[in-house]
Amino acid sequence: MSIFEYNGAAIVAMAGKECVAIGSDLRFGVQFQTLATDYKKVYKIHDKLFIGLAGLGTDAQTMYQKLKFRHNLYKLREERNIKPSTFGELVSSVLYEKRFGPYFVSPVIAGLDDKTSAPYICGMDTIGAIETADDFMVAGTAPDSLYGMCESMFRPDMEPEELFETVTQCLMSGADRDALSGWGAIVYVITKDKVVARTLKGRMD
Amino acid sequence: MDKLDFSGLCSRPFSEKSSAHLEDLSAITSSVQDFPLPQVQDVDRFESEVMAYVKPNHGTTTLGFIFKHGVIIAVDSRASMGSYISSQTVKKVIEINPYLLGTMAGGAADCQFWQRNLGQQCRLYELNNGKRISVRAASKLLANVMFSYKGYGLSMGTMVAGYDPTGPGLYYVDSDGQRTKGQIFSVGSGSLYAYGVLDNGYKWDMEVEDAIELGRRSIYHATFRDAVSGGTVSVYHVTANGWKKVRGDDVGELHYEYYPAAEAHPCFGTDPLEAA
Amino acid sequence: MGESQYSFSLTTFSPSGKLVQIEYALNAVAAGATSLGIKATNGVVLATEKKLRSTLIDESTVKRISVVSPNIGLAYSGMGPDSRLLVRRARKQAQAYYRVYKEHIPVAQLCRETAAVMQEFTQSGGVRPFGVSLLMAGYDDNGPQLYQIDPSGSYFAWKASAIGKNMTNAKTFLEKRYSEDMELEDAVHTALLTLKEGFEGQISGHNIEVAIVGEDQKFRVLTPAEVSDYLEEVE
Repeated sequence: MSIFEYNGAAIVAMAGKECVAIGSDLRFGVQFQTLATDYKKVYKIHDKLFIGLAGLGTDAQTMYQKLKFRHNLYKLREERNIKPSTFGELVSSVLYEKRFGPYFVSPVIAGLDDKTSAPYICGMDTIGAIETADDFMVAGTAPDSLYGMCESMFRPDMEPEELFETVTQCLMSGADRDALSGWGAIVYVITKDKVVARTLKGRMD
Repeated sequence: MDKLDFSGLCSRPFSEKSSAHLEDLSAITSSVQDFPLPQVQDVDRFESEVMAYVKPNHGTTTLGFIFKHGVIIAVDSRASMGSYISSQTVKKVIEINPYLLGTMAGGAADCQFWQRNLGQQCRLYELNNGKRISVRAASKLLANVMFSYKGYGLSMGTMVAGYDPTGPGLYYVDSDGQRTKGQIFSVGSGSLYAYGVLDNGYKWDMEVEDAIELGRRSIYHATFRDAVSGGTVSVYHVTANGWKKVRGDDVGELHYEYYPAAEAHPCFGTDPLEAA
Repeated sequence: MGESQYSFSLTTFSPSGKLVQIEYALNAVAAGATSLGIKATNGVVLATEKKLRSTLIDESTVKRISVVSPNIGLAYSGMGPDSRLLVRRARKQAQAYYRVYKEHIPVAQLCRETAAVMQEFTQSGGVRPFGVSLLMAGYDDNGPQLYQIDPSGSYFAWKASAIGKNMTNAKTFLEKRYSEDMELEDAVHTALLTLKEGFEGQISGHNIEVAIVGEDQKFRVLTPAEVSDYLEEVE
């Protein structure tokens, strides 16, 4: 079994009209044993920038701490929040530093541009090859299912509410076909002036 | 390979020269030599290589127990290939005849085929002997087939449950050829979780409703913890009058029946924005 | 012990609390050719004298203003070779930043990094402070910016400033001429006038250097022909 499937995860990010949403499932398990069902895999960098880290749990936590550290220093140095695209490049750089002994994580980044409110979404592999998307990005132990859902559910320029519904449906239905993810979900909708977080009930098997 | 010759168990009412149709039937019911082997040098290695393709039902939780008012059988309904959930609506209780049930764990095809085969053998036994087969004998028939195929890579972990004039019966039979009589069994990847609830709640003289609920609850808890168990919980009750399906609940709803308020669950989530 | 006990920093505090080596470095700057910079509403201009010891030197090969990153450049007064090391460090720093963030380094960041290098040379063993002051001009998301960095490693953002031989006079001149709503074209004119004020001999497009960075965020050293055109406008 792949090391990426040791803990299990499902992450979806999707762009709307001047808004983005990112969500993850809540399961934390060791192989087929479910240990917790309140384990969020999406982390906040700042009010308009979130990162989802799928893959090996321990590496995801370390990665988040490392990124938090880099962003804190960035804030102190530059006295501003990092732009989503710039943060994407930063994550990529941090990952490539470990080219020959990578962190086993697949990050998904979702953010809003501070000035233009343009959505930014990208994903990357373990060593930092960035893939930007203007519609959606998925990661986790059921990428095929999640891509399938997103591919059929996505509509351009969705408003925040519709975006929330769509991401929720994609995430929950995608995870329902995956044994290693699910057990509820959390979805963040990021708009110009607020972030709305909602925990969702799902199948608990 | 040497095989036990158990053809004597199924005495044939017709001569070997009877119709071709009946010859076919007898072939299915008894002979184990009729499966063509792959034309390869190393059969064992070939079998282990193709094993992955013929075992799509690896994750499972099944249980059975005998109590004062009969036998309870409870199972989940998930089929998986690796971490992919290939079905949520698998029928894992095989109704061999109105008094006999078999459960399914391991390879779906192996379980289905050999328990149907068992059903045929049992029916022939009835016709030959004018009485129903005992649970003991039925499970032995299955175990003998399993033993004769030992080493061929069959995958089956089953419970044979039923009722006969001697009372309720429950046997564990697996593809290694093992056969064990018992009062409580749980089989499959989620069996340890089910045992935890089952052993804790089991009493010999419990009421029928309580026994049904114990079976259902045990399977539910197994589906919660075991990633490859899930779907629906089916519960069967076997009495002197035969088996009866008494429950079929979607786990998606069952969880919130057991824990209507999120706070009630030990895995209750933290504030969504707190950790973020 | 070895040699380490003899290689302590040349910049040692005097009893009165001064670092005389830094003051000497400032003297080296004051002896250098004049450079000045003016921040306008929509850009920054840097201008510097390029007076050479001998008329036999090919003046087209002498560069006193350097591009550091697409949107940032700097001029120096003082010792040319010292400035080149700083330019090299600054360019490398800018590239390092770009490699990590795929975004051009903000002026303030590059200024701080360069100042840090200069500070390091006031405290390290076996080195001397830089004999240069720098004027760093750039344009980023925070608009046009002009910084001056001194040998001590201290730096300030300026609306207009001058360094080198004529700095005192030039600054006085700039104080009189500067206005908050000045646009880049006016700033270029003012810069040339200031330079001309303290210039010995005939000013031309060949013996001064001018660079601008505007709203396009492209730092560009003007050609002698362009400078000549501006000089004509000033006259």
